[in-house]
Amino acid sequence: MSDFVSLEGLTLAYGSTIAVDKLNLTIAQGELVSLLGPSGCGKTTTMRAIAGLMSPRAGRITIDGRDVTRLPPSKRDIGLVFQSYALFPHLTVYENVAFGLRLRSESDLDAKVRSGLATVGLEAFADRAPKDLSGGQQQRVALARSLVMQPKVLLLDEPLSNLDARLRLDMRMELQRVQRETGITMIFVTHDQSEALALSDRIVLMKGGAIEQLGTPEEIYSAPVSGFAADFVGFETILPDEAGGGLAWRPGAVVLGTGPHQGTVIGTAFAGERREYVLGSALGQIKADAPVSAPPLRMGETIAFDLPRERAVRLERLN
Amino acid sequence: MFEDRRIGLALAMPAAVFAAALFLAPVIILLSEGFRGAEGWTLAPYIDFFSSDRNRVVFLRTLKLATLVAGVSAIIGYATAFAIVSLPPASRGRMFALVTLPLMISPVARTYAWLVILGRTGFVNQILVGSGLMDTPLRLLFTETAVFIGLLQLFLPLMIISLISAMENMPRDAVPAARVLGANWVQVFFKVILPLTREGLVVGGTLVFTGSMTAYITPAILGGSKVLMLETLLYQRVTVANDFASAAVIAMILIVMAFSANIVLKRMATARARR
Repeated sequence: MSDFVSLEGLTLAYGSTIAVDKLNLTIAQGELVSLLGPSGCGKTTTMRAIAGLMSPRAGRITIDGRDVTRLPPSKRDIGLVFQSYALFPHLTVYENVAFGLRLRSESDLDAKVRSGLATVGLEAFADRAPKDLSGGQQQRVALARSLVMQPKVLLLDEPLSNLDARLRLDMRMELQRVQRETGITMIFVTHDQSEALALSDRIVLMKGGAIEQLGTPEEIYSAPVSGFAADFVGFETILPDEAGGGLAWRPGAVVLGTGPHQGTVIGTAFAGERREYVLGSALGQIKADAPVSAPPLRMGETIAFDLPRERAVRLERLN
Repeated sequence: MFEDRRIGLALAMPAAVFAAALFLAPVIILLSEGFRGAEGWTLAPYIDFFSSDRNRVVFLRTLKLATLVAGVSAIIGYATAFAIVSLPPASRGRMFALVTLPLMISPVARTYAWLVILGRTGFVNQILVGSGLMDTPLRLLFTETAVFIGLLQLFLPLMIISLISAMENMPRDAVPAARVLGANWVQVFFKVILPLTREGLVVGGTLVFTGSMTAYITPAILGGSKVLMLETLLYQRVTVANDFASAAVIAMILIVMAFSANIVLKRMATARARR
């Protein structure tokens, strides 16, 4: 089934403001898809609509062949891990995980809750209050609370953005392991391109309530279709070309020391394995990287640089 | 901070003496009136008070109306507060201002407005009679219903404000999280919203209950001498009958009821939350 989850002509609005405009998207079973974009691009709104927390102005949502457009969140077989975790502070960790199962009056509830807590390595914390847990632990409780319901689709809202760097890596591995073991379809929302690139099977890059580009992480990273898409994945220098499209260079693709252009160093930063420079030039601001082995440039220094065509990525359109 | 606790106590003394002399002592003197008979201490004023049918009716009516007003304001309050906190921030501020607006208007003016609406030739009766639904005007004033409506309108804002601040302290997304986990709106209310806002409900409930119980102007204007409440009865005992013993008894009853209401509400809130 290549259309386990499908959104057809989905239009979402807050009052008179259109947040998502006629969005079409299909997601296969077991796929991990990320909705990527800056704030206000409609990614969170789309996720809330899939969850049923917001009714669409127009369009259709189906999950596993069933039209869920008009169903309440409880009838959709979805799980949602909120950015704020949204644990219930008046309940213990155990009761948080048991919350949904109790509503279903599920049999062998205790076994399911225990195994859910074991999945995220928190059996020992069952009787704690959520507030006594660290952010990373709270998030794992939220994950367990969703997983014990055995949803068909798991939605995750910025799952890594509230965690520090070390925990991010742990959680990333945790999510990949859960996905491998359960084969659950996951949709996750993020504004962080590195998160999306690292986790996803496919990335939906969104801009202004519509899909800007849809592709594998490799395609999104190395073959952006527009200036916006290029800018979002780290192409810092974007110039128009003769054919009406554009050319984009990463900082590492800019050649320093030789070339037809002149630039003045207006910013420098040491980034460990490289030095990052900002040059002021007739072409505008150019960001360029140099290896640390090269002699450092000083502020105000003038240097020749080149934007080689063979190192650029061709963009279909500029914005 | 203080090396010697006694210094702290000494510094607290002026305020303590002030409060004791000017607040506590008069209250004790006033209340002790209710226990003083011709030959020393007695419970006679209490027995006398409760042996009168009229006094019992007034006592039960006060209890009933204050409970009803607190209960109905909780129901309306939850719906209103939830609607307001669900709004985007800008319109939330406007709605909150609208809720607090009546608190800035004199209760006398607000209560007189009900005379205009509920009177014999008032707004409601003009519509009822004018449209032919009724032949003669309904008697709406000087009924328990009128007092109930007046008190509800007077104190509802306090409940809404208490519940709004309680709901604003709920974790963001707790309600959507419960819905995604399979809760319907009734379950969301009883399993998430109510336990997380119970302090607000206790505060609001206590304010509305004690407010309704001790209100004077509203029952006086809308109930008159036909629908006496404890507070209007107290005033009557003092000004008409010069009966300070009954007045002291009523004052004591009001204090006991206020404290009991707070205790009962707290108990109810925690009992619900445990389930």
